[in-house]
Amino acid sequence: MPPKTCALCENAKAILKRPKTGQQICKDCFFYVFETEVHNTITQANLFARGDRVAIGASGGKDSTVLAYVLKTLNERYHYGLHLFLLSIDEGITGYRDDSLETVKRNQQQYDMPLKILSYDELYGWTMDRIVSQIGKKNNCTFCGVFRRQALDRGAAVLNVDHIVTGHNADDIAETVLMNIMRGDIARLGRCTSIVTQGEDTIKRSKPFKYAYEKEIVMYAYFKKLDYFSTECIYSPDAYRGHARTFLKDLEAARPSAIIDIIHSGEAFEIREEIKATQKIQQTCKRCGYMSSNDLCKACTLLEGLERGMASSGITDRARKKLDAEGPLPENLRTIPFYQPPSGNPNPTITIES
Amino acid sequence: MVSESCGNPSVETEAIMTRRPKYDKSKFCIKCKLNSGAIIVRHAVYCKECFPALLSYKVKRILEPQINPKPELSRKKSLKASGNLLVGFSGGLGSTVLLDLISRIYLSHRTEIKEEGVTKSRGGKDHPRNEPVWKMVSVCYVEVASGFPGMTDKTQKIHQLLQENYESLEFIPIRLENAFDLSWWDKVGGKAALDVNTDLTSDELFVSTALNSPDSDSVQKLRSYISALPTRTAIESAIHTLIRILLLYTARSTQSSHLLLGTSLTSISIKLISSISQGGGFSVREEAQEEWNPDSKGAVRLIRPLQEITLKECSMWAWWNDLLVVGKEKYPRGKDGIEALTKEFIIGLERDYPSTVSTIARTCAKLAPKVDAAGLCILCERPLQPAVQEWKSQISIRATKEPSPPSHSSDPSSVLHSLTSYLCYSCHTTLSSRSSKGVSRNSSNTSLPLPVWASTHLQGLLVDVAITDMQPDLKEADEEIWLSHKVNPDEMKEAIGEFLLE
Repeated sequence: MPPKTCALCENAKAILKRPKTGQQICKDCFFYVFETEVHNTITQANLFARGDRVAIGASGGKDSTVLAYVLKTLNERYHYGLHLFLLSIDEGITGYRDDSLETVKRNQQQYDMPLKILSYDELYGWTMDRIVSQIGKKNNCTFCGVFRRQALDRGAAVLNVDHIVTGHNADDIAETVLMNIMRGDIARLGRCTSIVTQGEDTIKRSKPFKYAYEKEIVMYAYFKKLDYFSTECIYSPDAYRGHARTFLKDLEAARPSAIIDIIHSGEAFEIREEIKATQKIQQTCKRCGYMSSNDLCKACTLLEGLERGMASSGITDRARKKLDAEGPLPENLRTIPFYQPPSGNPNPTITIES
Repeated sequence: MVSESCGNPSVETEAIMTRRPKYDKSKFCIKCKLNSGAIIVRHAVYCKECFPALLSYKVKRILEPQINPKPELSRKKSLKASGNLLVGFSGGLGSTVLLDLISRIYLSHRTEIKEEGVTKSRGGKDHPRNEPVWKMVSVCYVEVASGFPGMTDKTQKIHQLLQENYESLEFIPIRLENAFDLSWWDKVGGKAALDVNTDLTSDELFVSTALNSPDSDSVQKLRSYISALPTRTAIESAIHTLIRILLLYTARSTQSSHLLLGTSLTSISIKLISSISQGGGFSVREEAQEEWNPDSKGAVRLIRPLQEITLKECSMWAWWNDLLVVGKEKYPRGKDGIEALTKEFIIGLERDYPSTVSTIARTCAKLAPKVDAAGLCILCERPLQPAVQEWKSQISIRATKEPSPPSHSSDPSSVLHSLTSYLCYSCHTTLSSRSSKGVSRNSSNTSLPLPVWASTHLQGLLVDVAITDMQPDLKEADEEIWLSHKVNPDEMKEAIGEFLLE
C-alpha cells in the first residue's frame, strides 16, 4: 500500500490519524493544528490580557505538562505578554503524587518558570491518605476536589497571580456534563461548559484545552517527547465519574465527534429562569472567608467533620444535622486560615462567560 | 405534667428526628392501607387495585394541561381539544400501554358496559351527553420493514390486534418509504417538490436534483437513504426522525390537534442522553414535548403522556391486563449505535443508582436553550440553533489552504448549493459524521435522497435566497433555481481522496 499524503499540507507523508477529525496528517501539521486550535480558543474567548500573571495548575500529568509547554510556546510565538508560573498541589497520596511532583520540578527547569507547591497537610492538616483511612473509599473524591480547588486559589494568592489555567480537556468536560445530568446537579451543569469562571472574590480560572481531545494531548506529548507522569489515582475506581468516563469512551468509539457534540449540547442550554431564581446566591464563608453558597464553605464543613470524627457531615444533610446537634465548634479545633484574595488586583465582578 | 426530658440528643437518642421510613419495608398499599402490596414504585408500595389510579393520575398530570388550546393548569375548565387525536403506535410496550390507558381514561364513553348480561349505558362524566375531549381518535402505525430486506412486515398483525381491541378507532397504516413518496406528500397537503439528493462526501453536503425519473420507487429511495448514512448511530437517529415527521404530517392531515407517543420515563431518559451525546442540547425540551407548526397551517402538540411512568410499571400494567404486545424489531444495522449504547448504560446504572432515570428526566426538564432559534431544521423540523457551522469551524481546523473551487460545467452560472446552513447540529452531524473505523458503509453509495418535506423546505428557502441575491434569471420559475451538473470522476476523487487507502 503506497504511503498516504498529509490531508492538510498535501506534501509530507501522513503518519497519524487525528482522533478529533479522522484526518490523516503529518507530524508538523498535527503540531500546527493542535497549537493553533488552542490559540484560537484563547483569542476567541479573550482569556488573557497583556501583562497577566498566569498560574498553570501543574500536576505533572499529561494535561498540565502539555499545557505548560503549549502556553510557553504560544506566549512566545504570538506575544501574549504573559508571566507564567507553575502551581502544584500535594494531596498527600503516597505513590501517586511523589513521582508526579518530580516531573513538575523538572518542568520548572525545562520551561524556566517559577514553581509553588502547596500541600493539603500544610493547609488543612490532613493528607488524602489520612482522610481515606477515616472515611473509606466512597465520597473521597468530594474531599479531594473541594480541598484542591481552595488550595489552588490560595497558592495563586501567594504568587499574586490574576489567572489560573488548568489542563481540563474536552473529555473531562464532556464527562462532567453527563455526570451532572445523571446526578441532577443543575447548578454545576449551568457552569461546567464555561471556558472561564470567575466569582466576586476568587481568581479567574480558565481551561484553554476545553476543545482538545485527551488522545490528541497524549499524541502531542508523544511526538514532542515531553515527559509526564501518568498515574491513576488509587482512590478513583469507585468514583461516580468513572461510570461517565467508561460510557464516554464507548461513545467515542461509536462516533469520534461525540465528545465535541456533548460539549456543544452543554453550551446550547442553560438553567430555566424560574429555576435560576431558586438557586443559592454566593456568600463568603464565615470561618475562612472563601466563597461559599452557605454560611460555611464546603472545605470548612468537610474539615470540621474530619476533626470532630464525623466525616460524612460534609456529605449528607442528616449527618450535618447530627453534627450541629453535638454543639458548636470546640475552641481548639484546627480551621483553615483566613483567605486573602491577591492584593492590588481590583477584579471587577464579571459574570460567567462561556 | 411537665416533661422530664431535656431533648438533648447526646443524652436521649430519641430526641433526634427519626429517619423517614422507606415504604417498601411495609407490606401494605400506601394508598388504601388495606390490601397487600403488589408492586413497589420507587419505594412506595401499591396494591393491584390502587395501581390503575396511580397510572391514570400520572397520565392526566402530563396530558390534561396541554389539551385545551391555551395550556392551563386549572382543573376548573372542562377539557375540549381544538382538533382530533392521533395516537402513534409502534407495537412496542410503551405504545400498547398508552393506547390502553388513553382508551380507558378518555374513550370509555364510546362503549357500553356489559354487566351481568345486561347492557347499561354509562353515567356521570362518562355519560354520552357530555362532549368527548376529542371528536375523532385514530391510531397510526409506521411500518419500517421496507427499509431493511429481511425484516418482517407487521402491518397486518397490528391491524388485527387493533380491530379486536379498539374497533371504534380508525387505523391509519403508513410506511417509512412515504417519506420519499410524492403522492403521499400531496395527500397530506404538502407542496410539490423536486427530487433532491445530497452528496455526503463533503461536510458542505452539496445538493443536486436527482436524475431519476419522476415515478422512481420510494422503497428504492428509502433503501438508498439508509445505505448512504455514514454510521450506525446515524441510521437509528435518521429513522426516528422520519417516523416522527411522518406521524406529525399524518396528524395534521387528520385534523388532529394532538399526537400522543408511548415513550416511558426510561425511554425518555435514554433518548435525552442519546440526543445530548449527538449534539442535540438545543432541542432538549422537544424530547419531552413539542408544539409543531412548521408552515403555520395548524399546530399539532406532540405529547408523551407516559413520561413519568417507568418501564417496570408499564410491564406490570401490560401483564396484569393481559395486553398483547406485538413487539418492535431491532434495525439490523442499528445496534452498537449511540442509542443502543446509551440504553445499555442507563439500564445498567439504574441497577446501582435507582433514581438515575428520573433524575435525568427531571434535570433536563429544568433546562432551556440559551438563545432563540433561527428557524427550523429542514430535516427534523426542530428549532435551528444559529451559527452552528461557525462554531464547528472554530473548534477544528480541517484545512490549511483555501479549498480549490469544484470544477464547474461550462455553464458559468452553475452554483452548488450546500445543505449545511439549513440543518441543525444533530442532523448535520448525523449526515457528516464518520465512524472511528473509517467509512463503514456497505455500499459505496454517497448520494442521499432527501425526504419530501426537506426538499420542499429547501426549495422555498433557496427561492428566497435567489430573490435576495437579485439574480434576475433565477427569479422567473422555481425550476430554474436548480442548477446542477454531473459530477465527474476527478471531482469525486478530490472530494473523497482522504479516505482512499490506495
